[in-house]
Amino acid sequence: MSKLFPIQEIGSLAKPKWRTKGLRQPLSAQDLSEAEEWAQKLGINDFHDRAKGILKTSDDKTRTREILELSTLYGLRLFETAGVDNDGVGGEQQRVEMYEHVIKAVEGMNLLGHVHSFDYKYFNKGVAESKVSRKRPIYTPEFSDVTRYAHRAVKVPITGPYTLVDWSFSGYYIQKQRASSPKSRKIEAKREFLLDIVEQVIRPEIRDLVDAGASWIQIDEPAVTTHPEPQEMELFVEAWNETVKGFSCKFSDHTCYPSEIGYKVLAEYAPKLDKCDQLALEFANRDTSRLGVDESSREGYSDLKHFVNAGFSGEFGLGVAHVHDFTGNVSSGAGQAIGRDLIESPELVRDRLLFATKIVGDPVKIWANPDCGLRTRTWDVSFAKLANITKGAELARETFE
Amino acid sequence: MSPEIQLAGIHPRSEKLIELTRSYERAGTSWSQVEVQFEQETRELIKLQKSLGFDHISDGALGWQDQLRTVARSLRGVESGTRYSRWFDTNTFYQKPIVAGKISAGEIDPKNFLQTRLLAGEKNRKIILPGPYTFSQLSENKYYEKYPDLLFDVAVAEREIIRRLRNEGVSLFQLSEPCLVYQPYRETFRGESEVELALRAIRSVVENNPGEFVIQTYFGDAAPIFSKLVDLPVHGIGIDLFETDVSSLSRQTSKTLVLGVVDSRESYVEDPHWIADTARKFRKQVDVQDLVFASNSDLKFVPQGIANQKLEALSKASELFEGSR
Repeated sequence: MSKLFPIQEIGSLAKPKWRTKGLRQPLSAQDLSEAEEWAQKLGINDFHDRAKGILKTSDDKTRTREILELSTLYGLRLFETAGVDNDGVGGEQQRVEMYEHVIKAVEGMNLLGHVHSFDYKYFNKGVAESKVSRKRPIYTPEFSDVTRYAHRAVKVPITGPYTLVDWSFSGYYIQKQRASSPKSRKIEAKREFLLDIVEQVIRPEIRDLVDAGASWIQIDEPAVTTHPEPQEMELFVEAWNETVKGFSCKFSDHTCYPSEIGYKVLAEYAPKLDKCDQLALEFANRDTSRLGVDESSREGYSDLKHFVNAGFSGEFGLGVAHVHDFTGNVSSGAGQAIGRDLIESPELVRDRLLFATKIVGDPVKIWANPDCGLRTRTWDVSFAKLANITKGAELARETFE
Repeated sequence: MSPEIQLAGIHPRSEKLIELTRSYERAGTSWSQVEVQFEQETRELIKLQKSLGFDHISDGALGWQDQLRTVARSLRGVESGTRYSRWFDTNTFYQKPIVAGKISAGEIDPKNFLQTRLLAGEKNRKIILPGPYTFSQLSENKYYEKYPDLLFDVAVAEREIIRRLRNEGVSLFQLSEPCLVYQPYRETFRGESEVELALRAIRSVVENNPGEFVIQTYFGDAAPIFSKLVDLPVHGIGIDLFETDVSSLSRQTSKTLVLGVVDSRESYVEDPHWIADTARKFRKQVDVQDLVFASNSDLKFVPQGIANQKLEALSKASELFEGSR
């Protein structure tokens, strides 16, 4: 029997100050002190040689390359040291963020400016100004560094085409539509834009990744649950199926923070997604912070039953740790609230996994992961969360021995 | 008279303010620096509205973190919670209010709602609040056994908030009710009784309550409930023209209609001629006395430069519309 409740990360980690600053300007030895501290924790034995190289180079391009490579190595080792079974791509250190990173590589798109997401978080929103196509490889250079350093299985998260289009202004595609009503124009523009992104941008990228050896691609589609209309869901399925057509690697979907309707609609359409081996979903955010495997303690996981009832037969990546600010109460034994962070206890993680197992019916189908990427948390907090997910999975595993 | 133009929601922050708030979060900027920029941008927005001929001036709610939080924090029985939920089908989030006790108006500090000092010279002040139905629908109820009790307690508390804001010189209150029309999923389509309940709650906020009220719907088709909306005892009804099936609207009304005629979710700036033409077609369909031109919802979904261009387009369209009469 394979290991039950394997641990995976979902994508991002915060970018260390030295990584962010080092991409803009030369670093001092002082700037690298934090990196030195983490080098010891993570066993980066050649840190000093690498640091020397970074400090002595006067060429911005070389420094940037070395810093991106080093931060990717750090991300990989952080996951590995915390006990994660699937390293991902080292916390997406080589990406600006999930959206902008892609848009910058798309011909025909332009970043227009920042718009509000929540609190003091924003994202730089792009507009299609002409027909889109891929300007350059998007994830393949990162994948090449990752494969050099990863000791474990690699999963490559990529931003899904539906989300890219949904988070962009349609611009060119709207203006070329001739439909009379404003609503029809928007719908037709979205479909054309989406299918162009699939064919001209995402599929060429997947082809390159697969050719470079990628065996598992996670397609991030957080936007899909925001449009539960049947017409939109069918469009999503059409785009997904076009995206994966003809490729033989493993595909998983990551979706999080759905609108009020929850995961119910995604569950209905999930069985129609070709080659979708896993759904990695956010749940901890909506759950209580108290121990227990009863329905009321684990209310956040009730939506899982929709997927089971709809007949989705793949794996579930279960969000067992919150990734945003936390200001609520934590019951005894369920974790620790430190400032704006919640560090879930291994016991809370265990209970979440066991409750999910009751619904899914088969522990083999369940992976443990944070709700989403950990980019909003510090490395200390991310490490503590992942380490407790690892311990919690171990506790859950013990109940099956 | 040419149609009035109004802000219909939260206005976007500038790139400069965005950078300052980000820096504040990283402890790189003091709050006082951020506050100075908030004030400056609010002043600029007020100036822009006046230069474009707005009759009712809003402060743009630049400091509001989401559409519900300011009201949630003014209510007893409601906790802010820790859960972020998606704001309809946008890529923005709101902190989900948790109803943990009986709701009533709590300590209402008008400064949390609007920049009273910066609006001091403005006679006609507009504020945008979530309507009772939308607020209660988007909250997590952990206290009330029956939903109507929750809904009507929110309505009573909102009356008190409105009373306090009226004392601060607000004369026009927009109650945003996207939940009345946002019905994307067939199984959750609202039944007639639920719509009636929602409208009764709105009535209980506005009836015998001095001040002008607009009920603004967006993100959905207002046509199925349009005839009921125009029967509400309010000054105006707002509809989202990018979602509403105008061809099925046919009605004479003495109400002011707020036309959401520029799309707050697309960067493409609508041509003023197209806006005026769309409004003319609308008026052929619906016999309406007064029109107001606005965006279909909060302009915070586009960058500030685009939002301001859209306001300018509305202003030009208003002039063109007048010229056609």
